[in-house]
Amino acid sequence: MNVVKIKKAIFSKTLLRGFISVAGLILLWEVGRRLKLPGLAAVPAPSEVYQSISASISQPKFWDHWISSFSRVISGFIAAQLVGIPLGLMMAMSRTFHATTFPILEIMRPIPPLAWVPASIIFWPTTELSIAFVIFLGAFFTVVINVIGSARNIDVRYIRAAHSLGSRPWDIFWRIILPAVLPGIFIGMAVGMGITWEVVVAAEMIAGKSGLGYLTWSSYVGGNYPQIIIGMISIGIAGYISSSLIRLLGHYVTPWQRTQ
Amino acid sequence: MSSAIGHSGGGRISIRNVTKIYDPDGAKVLAVDNCSLEIEAGEFCVLVGPSGCGKTTLLNALAGFHSITSGTIELDGRAVCTATHTEPPSAERIVVFQNGALFPWYTVLENITYGPEVQGRSRREAREQALDVLAELGLSPIADRYPGEISSGMKRRVEIARALINDPKVLLLDEPFRAMDALTKGVVQEFLLRALDKVRKSVLFITHDLEEALFLGDRVVIMTTRPAQVKKTILVDFPRPRTFKVRSSARYLELKAQVFDAVHEEARKAFDAGEREMA
Repeated sequence: MNVVKIKKAIFSKTLLRGFISVAGLILLWEVGRRLKLPGLAAVPAPSEVYQSISASISQPKFWDHWISSFSRVISGFIAAQLVGIPLGLMMAMSRTFHATTFPILEIMRPIPPLAWVPASIIFWPTTELSIAFVIFLGAFFTVVINVIGSARNIDVRYIRAAHSLGSRPWDIFWRIILPAVLPGIFIGMAVGMGITWEVVVAAEMIAGKSGLGYLTWSSYVGGNYPQIIIGMISIGIAGYISSSLIRLLGHYVTPWQRTQ
Repeated sequence: MSSAIGHSGGGRISIRNVTKIYDPDGAKVLAVDNCSLEIEAGEFCVLVGPSGCGKTTLLNALAGFHSITSGTIELDGRAVCTATHTEPPSAERIVVFQNGALFPWYTVLENITYGPEVQGRSRREAREQALDVLAELGLSPIADRYPGEISSGMKRRVEIARALINDPKVLLLDEPFRAMDALTKGVVQEFLLRALDKVRKSVLFITHDLEEALFLGDRVVIMTTRPAQVKKTILVDFPRPRTFKVRSSARYLELKAQVFDAVHEEARKAFDAGEREMA
C-alpha cells in the first residue's frame, strides 16, 4: 500500500467519526462518574481504569488468563470444525443419514451451551474438559447448519458441467462440492467464533480457575473494580483478534470470493 | 491446419422415434413425441421452437442427464440413450449451459485444465495444452482471472474453450447466449464460428433467436409446440467461414422470412394452447 492511501485511510471521515464517537463515549462516562450520576457512582472512571492498566498487565498472571482463554477457544473451535464440517457434508449428501441425524440435532440445538455446563461437569473427568466441551457445542451447531445449507444450495449446473467434462465422483466432491461450500464454512466459522467467546467467558465465570472470564469475575469478587473493566476490554480485543484471523484465513483460502 | 484443440472426428447423431413422458405426480406430460432427427458428423444443427416445447429434453437426454421413455439416441452408431439405458455424461458430449457454469472458485486457466485433469492428464500437460488453446482463441490475457472478474461475453468464450479442449465429439449448447446484449452476442457468435472453423464439431444448438440460428447453423430445425416433433427443416447454405456480412445478404432475408413464418405459426399454437390450459 502506498503512503497516499495510508494517509487517506487515517484521515478519512469514516475513521474520524469512529474516533469521535468512541472518545465521546469515554468522555461522557468520565464526566458522568465525576458528577456521580445515578448508576455510574460505583463504576470506576476511565481515568482510574487507565491508571490500573499498567499494574494489571505487568503481572504475568494477566497474560496467563489470556493464554488459557485463547487455548480453550481454539481447541473447542477446532474440534467443532473437525466434527461439524464432515458431519454437515454427510448430512447434505445422504438423505438417509440426514433423516436419521437431523431430529437429534434439532432437539439439541435450541439448548443454550451454558445449560450444558452442569451435565458437562458431571460427565467429563476434569473441569477443563467440560469447559472445552461446552465451547465445542457453542460453535458446533452453527458449523453444521451452515455446511448443510451451503452444500444444499450448490447450483446443479456446476455438478452437471463437471459430469459433462468427465469427472469421477471423487472429483465432484473435491473439486466442486468442497470449494462450493467453503464460503459457507467460513461464514459458519465467523459466527461460531463469536458464540465461542460468549461461551468461554460465561463458562469460566461459573467453573473456571483461570481465563479472562475468571479474571473479570474474580476482580468483582475481590473488589478490584478497575480490573473488571480491563477484563471486559480484554475479552473484546480477544474476540476481535479471533474473528480477524478467521476473516484473514477466509480471504486466503477463498480468493475468488473477492471477485463475486 | 494444426490446432491445440484436438479433432478426433466422428460425432454423427441419430435421434430415432424418441418419446419422453414426464410423470412427476401422476399427471403425465408428453414432452417429446416420436421425434426423429439426424445430425451429420461436423454439422451445426440449430433447434428452434416455442418455449417449453421439449428441445432441452432432447439435449439433456443426449447429454446423459436424464432418460427417455422410448426410442433411441445413437452417437456414431452406439446407443447412448434408450428406454432402458442412459449412458452417463462424459467428455465426448459436452454441454454449455444457458446461464453459464464456469466454476467460480477456479481461474480461467484452471477451468480450462479441469477437463483434461479429471480425465487423467498430468497437471503440467493439461496446463501446457490449456495455455495453447487460450492463446489460439485470443484469451491469454485473462488466464489468471476468476470468472467473477470478467464480462459475460468473456465467460461464454472461456466456456466454449473449456468444452473444446476436451475434443468432444458433440458440443451441446442450450441457449448459451441468451440474455446477452446484441453487440456482445454478435462478438461471441463470431468467436464460436472462428473456433469451429479451426476444428469442425457436431453441434446441437438450442435458441429462440432466429437470426442467431441462421447466422450459425448449417441447418435450422423448427420444432412444433409440445409435444416436440420436427415441423420443418431449413438448410442454410452460406459458405464457411462466415462473417457478419452474411446477415445483410438477400439470401439471408429470404431464409429469415421462411423461418419466421414457420416459427410464428407454432408460437401462435403454443400461445392458444396456453390460453386453453389457463381457462
